[in-house]
Amino acid sequence: MVSISFLNPLSPEGKDIVRELGSFEGISQDIPELRRLVTRNPSQEIADDKEIPSNYLELALKRMEWYIKKKHDREFNSRRYSFLSDQSITRYDVIAFYLLCQAIGVKFGPNSRETRVMVESQGDLIQERLGKLSTEESRLMVEKSLQMLLKDDRVHWTFFQELLSTRKIRLTDLVLDRGELILDREDFIERFAPRIEHRNPSSMYQLLIGDELKELIMVKMIMQETEDYIKQVHKKARIMVEPNPILLELADEVAEVLAEPMQHYGYGSGRGGGGPMKTGPLNPLAFPPCVKKALEGIKSGGRNDAIVLFMTPFVSYARLYPDVFRMNISKRVSDQDPQLEITENEVLPLIYEAAQRCVPPLFDDQPQEKVNINAKLGFGMHSSLKMEHEGETTWYTPMSCEKIKLHLPHLCRPDDICKKIGNPLSYYNRMIWEVRNQDESDSDSDGTGSSNNIAEASTGNVNANDEVKGRQIGVTGKNGKSDDNSGEV
Amino acid sequence: MDLKPATPNERRQYYREEWNVKDIPDFILNTLAHREFGFDHMGRGPNDRYRVFQNSDYLRKFMRYRTPFAAYSSVAFYHKPRRRDGWIKAELVFDVDAKDIPIRTCGCDNVCEICLNQAKDIVQGLLDTLKGDLGLSDIHVVYSGRGYHIRVLDDGVMGMDSDVRSQIVKYIVGSEVPRSEYSSHGMKYNLEHFTIPFGYPQVFTQRVKQALFAVNLDTEIDEVSRDIKKAVIKHRELLENDQWGLFRKEIGPVRYSRLVKGVASINLTLVDAKVSIDLKRILRLPSSLHSGVSMKSTLIKNLETFDPFQDAVPKFVYERKD
Repeated sequence: MVSISFLNPLSPEGKDIVRELGSFEGISQDIPELRRLVTRNPSQEIADDKEIPSNYLELALKRMEWYIKKKHDREFNSRRYSFLSDQSITRYDVIAFYLLCQAIGVKFGPNSRETRVMVESQGDLIQERLGKLSTEESRLMVEKSLQMLLKDDRVHWTFFQELLSTRKIRLTDLVLDRGELILDREDFIERFAPRIEHRNPSSMYQLLIGDELKELIMVKMIMQETEDYIKQVHKKARIMVEPNPILLELADEVAEVLAEPMQHYGYGSGRGGGGPMKTGPLNPLAFPPCVKKALEGIKSGGRNDAIVLFMTPFVSYARLYPDVFRMNISKRVSDQDPQLEITENEVLPLIYEAAQRCVPPLFDDQPQEKVNINAKLGFGMHSSLKMEHEGETTWYTPMSCEKIKLHLPHLCRPDDICKKIGNPLSYYNRMIWEVRNQDESDSDSDGTGSSNNIAEASTGNVNANDEVKGRQIGVTGKNGKSDDNSGEV
Repeated sequence: MDLKPATPNERRQYYREEWNVKDIPDFILNTLAHREFGFDHMGRGPNDRYRVFQNSDYLRKFMRYRTPFAAYSSVAFYHKPRRRDGWIKAELVFDVDAKDIPIRTCGCDNVCEICLNQAKDIVQGLLDTLKGDLGLSDIHVVYSGRGYHIRVLDDGVMGMDSDVRSQIVKYIVGSEVPRSEYSSHGMKYNLEHFTIPFGYPQVFTQRVKQALFAVNLDTEIDEVSRDIKKAVIKHRELLENDQWGLFRKEIGPVRYSRLVKGVASINLTLVDAKVSIDLKRILRLPSSLHSGVSMKSTLIKNLETFDPFQDAVPKFVYERKD
């Protein structure tokens, strides 16, 4: 029988294992038993003896490595990590889990990329492990863990507040009746069977709830508990005097594992190479549908939000700091544009144009919005961009698709690429690469290669799609000068 | 009835002769000192904010002397309402404005009986979901002057953040097409939303039905052509008996899926989502005068029988000479 702690190290059984171990003493000592278990596993592939984890810390790193490689390495070979799904390692795995959470909690805190990866990897690992069990066994395990997690037979949906807030689950995924989450077959039949026509209620239960929804809820709840645990560690660590050096060392090693894909296989899309993304003139061809629509001018309500809250962050980040979400480091405009030339000559003009194209033109009746635009760029509530004011407000990051749908529903007209991203800026980053390739082959053939600026491109209609195909907004080139976009609109 | 603005004299008459502080619902009076109040004196927006009233008598006096153009109170409860600080919790609010209904059957340019009735139907549907699926109680409906506010004071949701609130909005308005592919033991099955008579798919089915009955040829729905709209109008009587399968067949499965996708995205504007996710919003004070249209914001006891043109018209309107 598989131990619950193999899925949920935070379960009472998992905690017992930690308690048994006691202290950090000997944590980096070799565990011959672990090596033996790994090498004994029949589906295990070992290319190099160094790959075999021989203590808790190495096992911990293997957990992270498995996830990162699975996500980013096209040559990922799951058989090299077979031991991670072998329940006989439970005892060691639980300790490795706690070490990771503590290391990450102490060093990086709950809002870090390390935490996100840890939480996601735990979720994936549970699914991987369940997948290796027989249907019966897996069902039993899910059932048992859920009982522990839910604590009660009747669960009100508000119990999942945290999971909903972090969007780990969607409210629309749950089957609800009178506020209660329906998971149990009998419960389902009792409540819904009278309403179901032309179908067998029992098979309907199997489809709509069955194993899938239960598994989803269990996995997401354990992920949330993992996140909460890291948060708790972080909080405690701030009061404690000195964190254990072993944890700090492990944290550094985790960071190394996480950084690896950026150096080796290009992060995210698996291309593009390492280091920060190059910034460059805006290319309207790569704009997502919502930005294109906003550029055409907002005709109904919501002009202010569209220009100030939506376009200002998008245009500025797309031009100056397109990989803000990947880098996860907040910056100021002047970190990317020290003389503010690009901002004055390219970013603001484009925002102002969109404002001008509103009906009625935004600044006609609300000239104060110019100040708000400056504020969203981080320059305080002032009528011009001055270095001395920078930092009075923060440079707003682009709204997520989720937020746009709520605040500016008229703008959201998703296309196929939109389905794969969660923020318009990611759309732009994804497209810019493709468009650039296209561009290069275009300019190779027509031999012009010149960049035309937005002032020219948009004298008529900024239907950027076709009109300005292959051209770029703004002219900066290397000299940072533009010939004809003074920013007066 | 035309919805003319109220003159300053009419406002004065209303607050001195007709309005009574006891008309303010108990759910506000009982929590008065924790709420922030805001006022609009000139008709240019509520810029007199951060007001707090320790008891209803102070509020009564204020209203009688100042006779504001509009009065608002926060949906949030604060420890220090005067500084909008020490947030405790906030009502969960849904704002259904008749003027902003996505598919309006009337075509008027302000609000009229037809769109106000339509708003009422929408509110009824949302209430059913809030009570039925989500099991919430302590829900109040207020006529706002141009539509309806649903105000939920159930303690289970008042502490929730904007993200959870936005999920609630999406659920009750039906803004996502439920998935239709399900699998079990490696077999794939297709279950359209209308074949599932409970949970979110049922909510979605009801909202789509409501929308399809309001559609006309001029309604703009994303990627839904005039031909599809024609077909909807021609065949929608099938939906009266919930013959969805036949309806879908008549429309054609591909066009049908485009249609429901379009309706789903429109549904997000059934309520003003900004209001629902705002944890510090101020909302028109029930019992106060909506001076723009000369109507009383009114707590509704029975939504079915409520008629704004009977129950929310201040006396001075009847006394107007012209």
